[in-house]
This record gives sequence, structure tokens and C-alpha cells, in this order.
Amino acid sequence: MKNPQKKVKTIEAFKEIFSVWRVHRFSIGISIVFSLLALGFGLALMSLAGSKVALSALGIAMISSLMLKILGGGRLIMRYVERLYTHNVMFKAIADLRVWFFKKLAKGAAAGLGFRHSGDILSRLVTDIETLDNLYLRIFLPFLGFLLTLLVLIASISMINIPLAFILSLLFIISGFVCPLLSAWITCKRGKNLIQGIAKLRMVSLDCIAGLKEVRVFNAAHRLQSLIKKHEAILFNEYHAQAKIIACFSSISYLCGQIAVLCIFAAAMDIGFQGIHPLQIVFCLFLTLTAFEVVLSLSKAGALAGQIVNSALRVVNVNDGYVYVEQGYDSTSPCGFDIKICNLGFRWKENTPWLYRAFNLSIKQGQRIAIVGSSGAGKSTLAALLLKIIPATEGEIWLGDKQICDLKDDLVRSKIAWLSQETHLFDDTIRENLRLGYPDASEEELWQSLKDAAVDDVVKSFPDGLDTWLGEGGIRVSGGQGRRIALARTLLSKAPILLFDEPTTGLDVDTEKDFFQILNRIALDRTIILIMHHLTGVEKIDYVCRLFDK
Amino acid sequence: MQQNKRLIKSWIKKQNKIGQKVILPIVILSFFSNIISMGIAWCIAQILGKLLLPSIHLPVSTSVLLSLYIVLILLKGVLIYSEELTAIKIGLIARKRLRSEVLTQIIAAGPILLYKHSIGALSSIVIDQIESLDGYFSRWLPISILWILSPCTILIFVFFIQPWAALIIGLCGLMVPVAQALFGIGAAVAARKQFIAMMRLQGRFMDRIKGIATIVLLGRSNDEAKKLAFAANELRICTMKVLRVAFLSSASIDCAMIVSIILVAMVDVGSFYNSAPFHSVPVTHALFALLIIPEFFQPLRNFALAYQDRAKLNSAAASIVVLPESSNKDKVNKSWNDTELYALEFSDVSFFWDPARGKALENISFKTKSNENITLIGPSGAGKSTLIDLLLGFIKPTSGIIKLNGVDITTLNSENYASLLAWIGQRPVIFSSTIKENILFANPNASEEQFNKAIELASMKKIIQELPRGIDTVVGEGGYGLSGGQAQRIAVARAFLKDAPLILLDEPTAHLDPRNEADIFESIRILAQNKLVVLATHSVSGHHLEGLHLTLEKGHIMSRMMVN
Repeated sequence: MKNPQKKVKTIEAFKEIFSVWRVHRFSIGISIVFSLLALGFGLALMSLAGSKVALSALGIAMISSLMLKILGGGRLIMRYVERLYTHNVMFKAIADLRVWFFKKLAKGAAAGLGFRHSGDILSRLVTDIETLDNLYLRIFLPFLGFLLTLLVLIASISMINIPLAFILSLLFIISGFVCPLLSAWITCKRGKNLIQGIAKLRMVSLDCIAGLKEVRVFNAAHRLQSLIKKHEAILFNEYHAQAKIIACFSSISYLCGQIAVLCIFAAAMDIGFQGIHPLQIVFCLFLTLTAFEVVLSLSKAGALAGQIVNSALRVVNVNDGYVYVEQGYDSTSPCGFDIKICNLGFRWKENTPWLYRAFNLSIKQGQRIAIVGSSGAGKSTLAALLLKIIPATEGEIWLGDKQICDLKDDLVRSKIAWLSQETHLFDDTIRENLRLGYPDASEEELWQSLKDAAVDDVVKSFPDGLDTWLGEGGIRVSGGQGRRIALARTLLSKAPILLFDEPTTGLDVDTEKDFFQILNRIALDRTIILIMHHLTGVEKIDYVCRLFDK
Repeated sequence: MQQNKRLIKSWIKKQNKIGQKVILPIVILSFFSNIISMGIAWCIAQILGKLLLPSIHLPVSTSVLLSLYIVLILLKGVLIYSEELTAIKIGLIARKRLRSEVLTQIIAAGPILLYKHSIGALSSIVIDQIESLDGYFSRWLPISILWILSPCTILIFVFFIQPWAALIIGLCGLMVPVAQALFGIGAAVAARKQFIAMMRLQGRFMDRIKGIATIVLLGRSNDEAKKLAFAANELRICTMKVLRVAFLSSASIDCAMIVSIILVAMVDVGSFYNSAPFHSVPVTHALFALLIIPEFFQPLRNFALAYQDRAKLNSAAASIVVLPESSNKDKVNKSWNDTELYALEFSDVSFFWDPARGKALENISFKTKSNENITLIGPSGAGKSTLIDLLLGFIKPTSGIIKLNGVDITTLNSENYASLLAWIGQRPVIFSSTIKENILFANPNASEEQFNKAIELASMKKIIQELPRGIDTVVGEGGYGLSGGQAQRIAVARAFLKDAPLILLDEPTAHLDPRNEADIFESIRILAQNKLVVLATHSVSGHHLEGLHLTLEKGHIMSRMMVN
């Protein structure tokens, strides 16, 4: 099903992420102002303190202590406020991004996750999105800080000596811009390795844990452990290699700062730069030292760029190859809920055999029908077609007076409730699981649906009743109980059509018969479509449609 | 709870003990680096002082100072490089060791963990929790020594040069631990809460991602997104609580530093005025004191930054200690003959998952003759799967004994016992790998011939021919692209490849249609020849085996029957 769809490029990926963040643009603007103010106070404080000592040593009192105190206090408060504010804004943006990611995933996921590993998706959602906050906090803001510091440096030192200002800013650009840029550039390719490395490690660990039973029975502990170790070693080698690059550039960045100090010393000794007053030298020195300290950690941050770019791509490309475009836009409910399938044809791809050709079926509202066939006859495909998970290749499917391809996906799915063996029970309470089917259900309705599905006694026997936690995949209840809770959820929905795709798979014969007897009694006003590989004989149905393999 | 706390404490103690040995190189490097920084500050102060007041007398000539300065900065450059690499190495080694320990524990505890913990939570211990411990070893442990060592050393030097400044810096420095103690407690509590929120959010995501098709088809993706937004916002609030305290504690350091800069500057300035002609405080000393202040506070700042790494160890410890300790050591390694025949005996076996929910199995007793098959019949929830899990050794009887040829199976080394077993459950776990690797999982040393025979016996030949890349077709997590029948055939092929004498079948055809069911049973019949088979099934009329038939209901044996 992989579409030959082009992957989203880096720039578009960032555009997409920024568009999610656009709502916060005002707060982000404020946070930038705060952060630059805090930096400005810091620069002023250190250079003035140095100058004050120097001036006083020469017996001149030009800078009042009050000034220093104001700067000090301002620096302190601004720094605290700035950090709180920027982080808060960014976490809001990150939370938005997570929700956006989930919605995006949901669009391409009606047919399940497919080949995508849920561990991989989780790592995109958790690690990758978390990495993206660095984009603002550790790259964008510090870069602005670098620009501001550079301006201050050029402006103040060029008033003293232009060649010196030129040399110092050049060194500053190397330290605060070139080194980080280079480490970003070199680790760009490698950031991908890191993220893929951790995703791969997560994947093999998840396999190992999900397959603990298999691991035990087939004595595969050592094998899987060494596989995990192998992937860990690959990841760690990458960490180490990147650390080397980062350490190297950090070191160069530091040395640039010290060379700048040497230049100032040279100026002090009238080597190269003439005629600078010692006081100006002291001012330059303190300003330079503080400025370079600001950018010292930028090389490390630059190395994150690689990871950030790749994270952005992974987050934006989550539906790569699984793009599903909603086609219908009609959101008004059709009149009546007769289903009419006319001349339906379906095949997965061109050149593959037709699964359906010239298929016709008509189901009147309130009718109960069974569609029976062996596996491979395309029963579930028919369900997917009705639910708009896949589009028909040719022909029409009518719901009432409208074609389903014109209706909005959600509308179709709110009219056709679905239950199959793949229906997922969530790691939540029974109440919340039921409410997924109908969020506004009252306590009474919840119990009624449980009663209809013949699990009310079971639920009542739990000490916590409706608030019993079901556990992952409903692991705390037996398979049959879980299925009946899922049935209760389906019954709870107000959909006029109930679509059961092999609803009793995995249940024992008695429970299966009970299930259909329950079904015979309830939902008399709703259309019921049963998709089964065989009938048990107790189902009350209006007619049976048999599908055959060609 | 109390016991957990004790376990957490002793686990942390153990980690610290191991950590203390490995961090020595980084402590030495950092300490050395601090000394060099002092040297650099001294050089700068001397040169600057000479520049401001050419009259003052320097201990060495300016050119010597300059060359010393150049040597020192080069040294510092090298130190920055090696410090960073050493720290990374220490972190990597620690994580490697911990991951291996935790994995061993998880694997030794085995499938029972899956009943108590979610897969997402377990994998997050193995990956995220352990990755998050990097900082504990590479940053926190070294800094917990350095934050006292380095400032004290600097203070001693400053004291000899400028006693007044040393006093001011020292007093301001003392403010820091006080503030830390004040904020640290709050930070630890908040960090724990944040971590819990994070884990909860992650579990939620994993679960919702797995069931995303259900959510979409129920038309609930927008509602779920809203709930997700709520959870994510909760996480943000928790995180901000942690950060607020963390920022406060770093602000307290900033405060101490700024106060000491201003005070030192003012005291120096005062001394210049009072005794201007004598310069009782030489300007070089005053400048040195000023330049060294950031160096003095750097370790304290790093300490505050690394403090959250310590909190991470606490939360990781809390998740790790709940994993049961591996207990395979005193187990017997029995050697079994290839020709041995096997008989099972259950005496008074009871089991409960959860005392509140009653017993899953109660007083089960039966005995079989050598290689006599057992069929367990009963509706879902009757305890068939529990009985099979007991036989698989995934869980241990709450009371009673299960004997295989007279040996209590719980006394056997789990690997030794597992070597006797083949198992087909309701749904096999298909690893994200090729079909071939998935089958070879049962026995990676199998020859090409054995492999081909296994796929033939599992009637997989035709399926494989239809697949785009044959046996090298990659199948996704949960076996995407494979139908239930195809996935189950992989499980059958695994069982053939393992060729074990005991075969445990837990409703192997529960999720299959009749045609597939018949096919799989045909394969199972071949597999079962000359072996001891235990089959759990809910169908009364379905496929049965010769031997002992036990009907179970609500954890009791309702009837026994011999079928020939």
C-alpha cells in the first residue's frame, strides 16, 4: 500500500512545525525580549565591574556602586523570569505539537499501524518531539544572544579601536558561530544515526519484552540480549564519535576566546594596535571575557542541530507512505440508512486480481443480514469499504440518499459502528472504555449496555465496578469478557448500523451462542451486518449473503 | 512500601559504590582544570595590573607571564576536550552495565512481568530510564565531590593573595548550600511527580497508538486528542514546577556570585581610596579576586544543574527495584535423555493472580502415564490458560506441586526446563524481522534441511510462494501482512523446528476460521506423534487428542475421562 509519495524536505518540515507553533508567536516574541534583556544586563555588569576596579585603581570614581547594584539585581531577576517564561512557552508549544502529531497519525491510521512499529511511533512522539524544544531553547535563543553580543562587542570596541574590534569580532564569530555551525553541519548526518540508533534499540527491546513468553520457551534470552547489546554498541559508538566532534569544537571555541585576550594584551603593549588607553584595555578585556563565556556552550548546542533536523523530519513524515486523503466533505446526515452497493469493484492495486467485480447488495434499514465466506473471500475488505477505510475502485456505495464517498469519514463511521476481533480495549477503566463509544452516556445507559452484552454480572463482581482498570489490551479480564465489554461499547453508540466482523472469534461455543442470542434480543431497530466464516444456527437473520473464492 | 524504600536505598548505595570507583579520572581532570583556570586568572591579573600601574613590581617579567599564559590556555584547551570525552565514556559504561543488569532481571523474571506491568512501562525502564541515568554517573557523582573540593582550593589560594576577598567570596559561597538544601527538597518531590506524569503520559500514548484504528473508527480521534492535550498539559505543569525550583536554586547561585562581585569590587575600591599612596591591596590582587569569582561559582552552578540527575536515579531506582531479583542460581540442571518418556503429576495445585479476585485454579490433582496426552476443555475463564502457564513455568503454583517425571518443575533451572518445551499460544508474537528469522528464532542453529522440513510440515510452502520475497519477506510488529492463520503457522513451524518432547497448546486455533483450524490441526497431529501434548480448547466438539480429558470450570476439574 506504499504510495510513491515524496518525503517532506527539511525546510517544509520546519515550516509545518512552525505553523503549529504560530499561535504562540506573541509569547515567543516576549520571551525573546526577556532573554536578550537578561543577557544585556550580564554583559554590562561584568564589564562595568572590571572598569570600576581599574578606574578606582587610578583614583577615578566614574561608576557608582548603585549602578552596579541595579545591574546586578536586574540581571538576577531578568534571568529567572526569562528562563521560566521561555521554558513555559516552549512546553506549551511542545504539548501542542504532540496533539498535532496524534491527530496527524489518526488520519493515516484507520487501517491500523501497518508496518510501522508502535515502538518507533512512540519514540517519535516522545523523544523526537522532546528534541524539538532544543530548536528554540538551545539554538534559536542562544543564536539571538550571539547576535546581540556581537553587536555590543562591535559597537563598544570599534569606538576604541577599529582594527581591534575587527579582530575580536572575527574571533567571536569563529567561536560563537563558525564552530557551532561546523559541529551542526558535521553532526547533521550523524544526528540521524543517533535517533535511528535509539529507535532501533527501542524496537529490539520492545520485541524482547512483548515476546517474553517466546523468549522463555525457545531459550532465546542470550540471543536477544546480545542483539540488544549489539544495537546498544552501535548507538554508543555513535554517541562517542559525536562527543569527540563536540569536544573538539568546544575546545577550539574556548581557545578563540583566549586568543582574543592575547590580542588585547598585544594592544596593551602597543603591538599591532596602537594608542589604546589602559582603562579601555580593562574594559575591552572584561567585555571580551564575558562575551566569549556567553557562546562557550554554543558548540555543544550546534551539535544538536543534526538531531533536531532529523527529529523534525521523523515527526512530520510519520504518515509517510500511508497518506490518506479525506475525500468526502458532506457533513449532513443522509435521509434513511438503507445500504445499497451497486456494481462495486475493488482491487488493491492495478494489475492485481479483482477482489470484487460487479458486486451488488441491498440492505434495508433495520434488516439483519449475514455475510458468510471463508477467509480470503474478502469479507473484511467489504467492511473496510463500508467504513471508508479504503476507497472502492469502481461502483457506488449508497447510504440512504447519499453516496458514502461524498460523506465525511467521521459521519460514515458515526452511522456504522464496528466490532471485530481487532477492536482494542484501552488501558483505562471499564467506564472510560465504554464511553469511547458514546461519551455522554449516563450511568444507567452504561449498565444497560453491559447487561445487553451479558457482562454486567462480571463487572458487578469486581470490587471497583465500572472503575475497574482493564490493563493493557484488556489483560485483566478474560478474552471472552473483554470481547463482551467491547460489544457493550458498540451497543452504546447511537449508530443505526452495527457492523460485526467475526465478533465471536476466540470465544467458546456456549458464549458464542449466548452472544448471538443476546444479539437477537437487542438493537431491534438497528441494521445489523454480521460478517462470519460460519453461522452457528441461533442467529436470527433476514437473509444470508455468501461470498465465494473465485 | 516501606520495604520498597529500603530496597531503593540499598540499590542507590550499590550504584554509588560502583560509581565512586569509575569517576576518579574525571574528578582528577576537572580539579586540574580548575587549578589551571586559577593560573590563567593570575596571569591576566598580573599583566593587567602592570598595564594599569606600570610602577608596580611583578614577580616575573611580562614576557614570561605571557608565555606562561599561552602554555596554560593550550593546556586548558586540551583539558576541555578530554574532560568531555571522559565524562561521556563514564556515562556510556554505566548505562551499558545497568541495561544489561535490568534486561537480565526482566528476562529471568519472565512472562509473569507482563501480567503486572505494561510492555510500554517495561521498555521505558530498559530504554528511557536507563538513558536518563547518563547524567548521574557522568555529571552528578563527579560534581558531588568537586563542588566542595574546587571552591575550597580556590578559596585557599585567594586567601593567601587577598584575605578580605576570600572572606567575602567564602561567605557568599556558603549561602549556596543553604539555598540548595532549601530548594533541593522541593525539587526532589516535584521531580518525582514529573517523572510519574511522564510515565503515565507515555503509557497512554503507547496504548492509544496501538488502538488507533479503534479510536478512528469510533470517530473519537478529536476527543482523544483533547484528552491527550490535557495529559500533555499536566506534564507541562509538573515540569514547570520542577524547573521553577531548579531555576530558583540557580538564581540563588547567581545572586551569591553577583553579590560577591559587587562586594569585592567595592572593598577593593575602598581600600584604594583609604590607602592610595601605599596600595595596601595591590591592583593585581584585586583583579585576580574579581576574575576568579566566576571560576569559584562554576562548580556550585554545575552542582545545581546536576541535582536533577540525582532525582532521576531515585525515580529509576523506584521502577527497577520492583522487578523481581533473578533466582535461577540454586536451581537444578537436570539432564534429560532423548529417549525419555514423560509423565505429569499435579498434586493439589492452586493459583491466584490476585487475592481479591479469587482463585484461578483450586486444588487441581491428576496424574498421567508416560507420554499420555492431556486435553483441557472448558469455557473461557475456566483456568485452562492458567494451567498451561503453570506448565510453561511462567507462573508458580500458589500452593501444591507440579511434577514432571517425579521432579518438581519449580526446582528446575528455567533454561533447562524450557529446553523440553514447545508451545503454541493463541497468538504468537511475530518479531519485526523476516519470516525466516522468525521461524529460526526457535532454533537458530537449525540446518537448511531442518528448516525446510519445518516449513513443509507446518504447510507453509504455499503461503511462502505467494509472498513477494518468499521467506525473506519482512513482517512487521504483530505480523502485519500475515493473516491469523499465517502467523499461527509460523508458531507451528517454530514448534517443529524445536522438536521438543513436551508440547503445550493453548487454544492454538481460537482466532482462526474452520478451514485454517483444520489445516493447523493436521500439522499439530504430525507434531504430536510420540510426544506428550497438553491441549487447551474451548470447543466441545472440536479436535481432541487421545489420552486424559479434563473438563475445567471456574478453576475446578468438573470431570475426567480417558479417550482412546
